[in-house]
Amino acid sequence: MNVILQYYRSLGTARTLNLRIWRLNSTSADVATTTKGDEEEEFRVLDILKSRQRTKKKVTRRNDVQPDRADRMSIDQKWGNVWPGPKTFHPSSVPLPLRQGYVPKGHVPPGKKANAELMKIPNFLHLTPPVVKAQCEALKQFCTEWPSLLNSEEAIENHYPVETITSDYCHAGPTIRNPLARIATLRVKLSTLNLNKHAQDKFIRLVGERYDEETDLVTITADRCPLRQQNLDYVNYLLTACYHESWNVEDWEHDKTEEDMEYYDWDKNASKKSLVQWHLRATNMPNDLSDMDYVEYDISKIPNGEEYKNAVSSLMNNGESEETLKNYGAAVRKLLGLPEAKI
Amino acid sequence: MFLRYWKKLGRNYSQSVNFRTSENLPIHQNDKHIGLFYTLKQEKCKELFGSGGFPKSFMKQTKTFTETSIMIRQPALDIMNCIQLSDFDKPAIRYVLFGEKGSGKSLTMAHLLHFANEEGFLIIHVPWVSEWLRRVPRHKEMANSLTRDGFVDLPLDAAAWLLHFKTQNRVYLKSADLVTSKEYVWSKREKTEMGKPLLELVEHGINRVKYSCDVIDVLMSEIKILSNNKKCKTFVAIDGFNSFFYPLTRLNTPTKRKVTPEEVTLTTSFMELTKNNWTNAAIVLTVDQLAVPDDRQESYLPRYLLYKKGFEHIDPFVPMEIGRYTEKEFLSCASYYRDRLWLRGPPDVETELKFTSACNPYRFMEQCAPL
Repeated sequence: MNVILQYYRSLGTARTLNLRIWRLNSTSADVATTTKGDEEEEFRVLDILKSRQRTKKKVTRRNDVQPDRADRMSIDQKWGNVWPGPKTFHPSSVPLPLRQGYVPKGHVPPGKKANAELMKIPNFLHLTPPVVKAQCEALKQFCTEWPSLLNSEEAIENHYPVETITSDYCHAGPTIRNPLARIATLRVKLSTLNLNKHAQDKFIRLVGERYDEETDLVTITADRCPLRQQNLDYVNYLLTACYHESWNVEDWEHDKTEEDMEYYDWDKNASKKSLVQWHLRATNMPNDLSDMDYVEYDISKIPNGEEYKNAVSSLMNNGESEETLKNYGAAVRKLLGLPEAKI
Repeated sequence: MFLRYWKKLGRNYSQSVNFRTSENLPIHQNDKHIGLFYTLKQEKCKELFGSGGFPKSFMKQTKTFTETSIMIRQPALDIMNCIQLSDFDKPAIRYVLFGEKGSGKSLTMAHLLHFANEEGFLIIHVPWVSEWLRRVPRHKEMANSLTRDGFVDLPLDAAAWLLHFKTQNRVYLKSADLVTSKEYVWSKREKTEMGKPLLELVEHGINRVKYSCDVIDVLMSEIKILSNNKKCKTFVAIDGFNSFFYPLTRLNTPTKRKVTPEEVTLTTSFMELTKNNWTNAAIVLTVDQLAVPDDRQESYLPRYLLYKKGFEHIDPFVPMEIGRYTEKEFLSCASYYRDRLWLRGPPDVETELKFTSACNPYRFMEQCAPL
């Protein structure tokens, strides 16, 4: 045993000797040799509890976190099965490189993982076109066939002139009711109602600004009742009431004078009287007409009288503008037999 | 000396080609003369427009230019053409001139008056209706009408107008055809017998100012009868006609009551005259924004200015818009002003003036004044 130790020791000195010779020649191995030399010179510590060895005993655990589900999805999967209904955004279920949120300078928007912004906004991932199509297909068995006679917009308008408009609201929340859903609107074309001249005039006055002259539509909206059905009933009631009221003729309506007219009725105005008078004078006919005769006078006998009538009516009803005045001038010139105006 | 004369002649010639026409009779003027100026003779001017008829600014201009030149414009020619082609056995046709302020309505009317005068019309010309109804000098002569209850007479204005009428128709009033159709008794001692010339009636109105309004009333009905009987043909020209229809005049009765236009005797006479219940006449009226107060000046179109009442009174009428200068008219006018030394400076001044005046004749004239 001793021999062996001595041998080792001599061998060790020989090695150091050898290294010392090398040290003279080289500089690169210098640091390594010194540290080694230092270690060898360090005091050894008696480690009774062998704690150092215990720390070294690190258990290398197996990493069992699986890769993201979004990365493992096959490209031809059925998306409807992945995301069957409305729900909050989940990053691992959506294989899209989404980014959303505040962008600090020089950065990119935050990614989809742990992104509150993406979770806050409503998404429609459950309503992709193939899913909608599939659902429609599934619903088809419960639907009836569309009437073949209602093949055009005009036909629909003709058979169903009254149009009711309501809105449904669908949202996730503590309650599925939305107060706006109670509002009901009814639309009908005035020309589809059975009204005479007086009744139509009265109807327009009764509905007031609910009548749109350009589109000929009467729009009645009700939101005063808490339920939709009540509002619908009320809207229908209003239409019915206005309709029947407009057919009533009150006593005081007979007192309406020419100044109260809402439009210029040429036949009842002084313009017709002056035209007839002019015509009678121009043709040297006796003038013994009463006021009623003037109103009932047939102007088709007067050449170009009809055109003149239209020109005056448009001047009075559509307001005076350069164009209506020009028409009026042209009509008068024709009536009086004057040459046309040169421009 | 000769050279200078020659130069002057040459200049006149070249300029006359540009903007002047020697066709001084409106009858012979046609579309070729549009935009050109023709000169009225001094005597004619005095006869027709001696006591009104031209706008004030134009009067001043004629004095500056030492001549009375009127531009021949499309609307005037159009109306002349219409008058010539229209059937005078049919009811009188009413022409209404309208247009923006300063577009030349009154001058178009003056042109037409000259035409009527040359054509042998008896002229009934009211230079400016607002002069009667809206201008109130310190001592406006007003009197309650003796013949009609609740009506107001404007004797001095009426007499002045009769004088105007007399000077304008000096030639025609001498004709033996124009005689009264019945006897008029003015007072115990004064009367106009049947068959007396109209001139006598007119002079009675001028001399006895008290009766001037009644004389006008009678005169109008007499002229209507004479026209109907083809003794004369009549040309009625009323400037600022819409003044008759503004709800109030600026006149007050001695009891401080506001007078409406219908209560003035002159209004009724001229209303009667502008109806189309007579023949052998042409009636030219202008509607002007300046004839009514500011609150009724939003539009220059006749229906607006005449109100419904006035529109119905003269319906059917021929509307005739007097517009702004066209390109040709503007250039012609500019060269005329250059000739009269009213406009001076480099030639590109005109393009600028065209924009700043927007081709409005009056504004163009005003803007040239300091140049």
